[in-house]
Amino acid sequence: MSVLTSEWLKVRSLRSTYLVLGLALSAILMGLALAVMAAGMYDTASLAQRSRARIADLEEVLVMVPQLCMGILGALTITSEYTTGLIRTSLTLVPGRWPVLAAKSLIVGALGLIVGALTVFGTYFLSREVLGDRFAGAYTTPFQDRLPLLLALSLTVPVFALLGTAFGALIRSAAGAIAVIVGLVYVIPMIIGKIPEPWSERLGSLMIGALPREITGDTITTSVYGSLLSPAAAAMVMVAYATLPLIAATWLVRRRDA
Amino acid sequence: MKAVLSSEWVKLRSVASTFHTIGAAAAMVVLGIAWTVYVGALADERGMLRAAAPEEGFLPLVQMSLAVLGVLTITSEHATGMIRTSLVTVPRRSTLFLAKAGIVALATLATAMSVLLLTYVTSRLIAGERHLGFNESAFTNDLPMLLASGLSVTALALVGLGLGAAMRSTAGALVSVVSLLFVLPGVINYLPPPWNTRIAALLLPNLVPQIASERMSSRLGDGYLPPWAALAVLFAYPLITLTIGYYALKRKDA
Amino acid sequence: MVRRAGGPPSRILYGVIELQHLTKRYGGTLAVDDLSFTVEPGHVTGFLGPNGAGKSTTMRLILGLDAPTSGQALVNGRGYTSLRKPMREVGALLDAGAVHGGRSAYNHLLCLARTNDIGPKRVVEVLEQVGLAGVARKRVGGFSLGMKQRLGIAVALLGDPGILMFDEPVNGLDPDGVRWIRDLMRSLAAEGRTILLSSHLMSEMALTAERIVIVGRGKLIIEATVAELTARYPSLEDAYMALTSDSVQFGAAR
Repeated sequence: MSVLTSEWLKVRSLRSTYLVLGLALSAILMGLALAVMAAGMYDTASLAQRSRARIADLEEVLVMVPQLCMGILGALTITSEYTTGLIRTSLTLVPGRWPVLAAKSLIVGALGLIVGALTVFGTYFLSREVLGDRFAGAYTTPFQDRLPLLLALSLTVPVFALLGTAFGALIRSAAGAIAVIVGLVYVIPMIIGKIPEPWSERLGSLMIGALPREITGDTITTSVYGSLLSPAAAAMVMVAYATLPLIAATWLVRRRDA
Repeated sequence: MKAVLSSEWVKLRSVASTFHTIGAAAAMVVLGIAWTVYVGALADERGMLRAAAPEEGFLPLVQMSLAVLGVLTITSEHATGMIRTSLVTVPRRSTLFLAKAGIVALATLATAMSVLLLTYVTSRLIAGERHLGFNESAFTNDLPMLLASGLSVTALALVGLGLGAAMRSTAGALVSVVSLLFVLPGVINYLPPPWNTRIAALLLPNLVPQIASERMSSRLGDGYLPPWAALAVLFAYPLITLTIGYYALKRKDA
Repeated sequence: MVRRAGGPPSRILYGVIELQHLTKRYGGTLAVDDLSFTVEPGHVTGFLGPNGAGKSTTMRLILGLDAPTSGQALVNGRGYTSLRKPMREVGALLDAGAVHGGRSAYNHLLCLARTNDIGPKRVVEVLEQVGLAGVARKRVGGFSLGMKQRLGIAVALLGDPGILMFDEPVNGLDPDGVRWIRDLMRSLAAEGRTILLSSHLMSEMALTAERIVIVGRGKLIIEATVAELTARYPSLEDAYMALTSDSVQFGAAR
């Protein structure tokens, strides 16, 4: 418990924490801007254009921003200690070592959950408010039907926070850990999208971006990912993303010279 | 200037991170080979198919890896305090910064072009006579795209250097580079047409096909900019960010 | 004993540091307050003052790392940032820890030497001189504090300059190292060089320095010879304590 309060103090006494959190939450403003622009375009469009007009689910597009930010926050909580050498003090104070990593994960995970829910639900409600019944699709379906997907989307943010912490501990360099997170969010899905079938869909189904819709069974054909996993399997893959790298990191941190 | 360039060259080649980032960029060659073997096998089954060219598909990997190199050239000096020693030996900050930019430009252009050409050549050799879509045009037709891709990598690395100098933080500069390369284009993609195409035409990753006068993507369609204008915009990115970075280095106490 | 770094043989070894009403304000605090004094060749000048008195800031201002709010610091009659080959006129050790841990000692020195057209031969020489020849190819990250101090001193000596500044060079050195620094400082001064040395070790300073400058709260408290001070007070330490008693309290209240 004392480790937890100590780690919490470390996180909230750093300026970078607030910058990253601010950046993550700015996704709500980006979503608002996109919704306002889209509404304006819809209103000036002809009737024929309107009937064909589609808009992506903005919260699904913009969740990438908090995903990236919280992944980086997770990485920074540990790599900044390696840069400054504070890690040696931290590990000396808690010789078992694993509580340090566990406490960090718990804190960035909880922050990720809050930030994820705020951005996803914030973007959803604001977009719904702004767009009303303009575009057929996402924002015209009742909230209850959308709730499972919104929850699953929110959950991907803490998963990234945990991934960031794990890769931060594994790689010990901010640049390296951030590169891995960016690779996971952007580069790998981009490349997988270009692979010929059937592997594009098979691998795409395993991407974190694909999991929310697989978990809720709310699949769409236009997805850039795949949708082959059952809800239970997708949930298990999500848990694996959150835990396996952390387990590897804990094992390594305990074994390696600090 | 020559002396400072030579010093920056020593700095670059004497840290492991340089080789990690270049190694990550060079992974494109291996991925390109694996890719071609895979789509080649598919083509043997199906007769023919249209696959993306590996040097285009894996370009974001090279862009990102070498942008990290650009960022680290300056932020690692700020992180370690080495920047103060560097400025004591080269008190003219413009000289130091120009030398850094020069070395980053040379190193990334050389790396990117070698990796791109190697990927191009190996994939075409492996593809042979198969009909894979990407291997059916002449080298002279593909050359503009290869050159534009190489230039985009250098532009992005210099953007990383500029932002690194402005922010003095590895994480901050990397996040900004990622925003330019991935987040912004991703978000703009989802604007209703034709606005997505108009705005996207100005974004870094979409400049490459426009310079080579090719289609931006299936979603975005043809570009808006003629090749010379796209090239000008590509140069504007590093020019603006390097200027911002230079003023930050010049004005602030080290 | 005096080794030239391949520069023209007619180069003057003598140098002088002049501070003229030097002032630096960080936000609301005056770190350096109207400081004027001159450091002359041929002996070691000790630079003393409590923590936060402005010693390091003064050195940073002399080296052009920070811009003075008003006043100026001159080396050999010129501003440091206008020197073309600064390492050949001024050598400085500010923060021994400010090194990229991934670089080898040799490469660290080489990249700095290159900026001032100093060759690898001189790098090897200096490594010998500071006793790091055996670990020249080892990563600096694995060095002890004392080894890093020696590396920092090597940087300062690279250009064989007439003016040398050392900020707390004795920190982290073993008794052997402390004696080595003392002898080095004295021999450098005996060659006619200008040495500005800051330290908190009064007994060490009494053995090494001939003149003393004491600052407190950014202001000059006294400029005198060690002989003058030890004539008035039982020891240099007693002199320091008596002269800085006000400044220390101020420092603690802040």
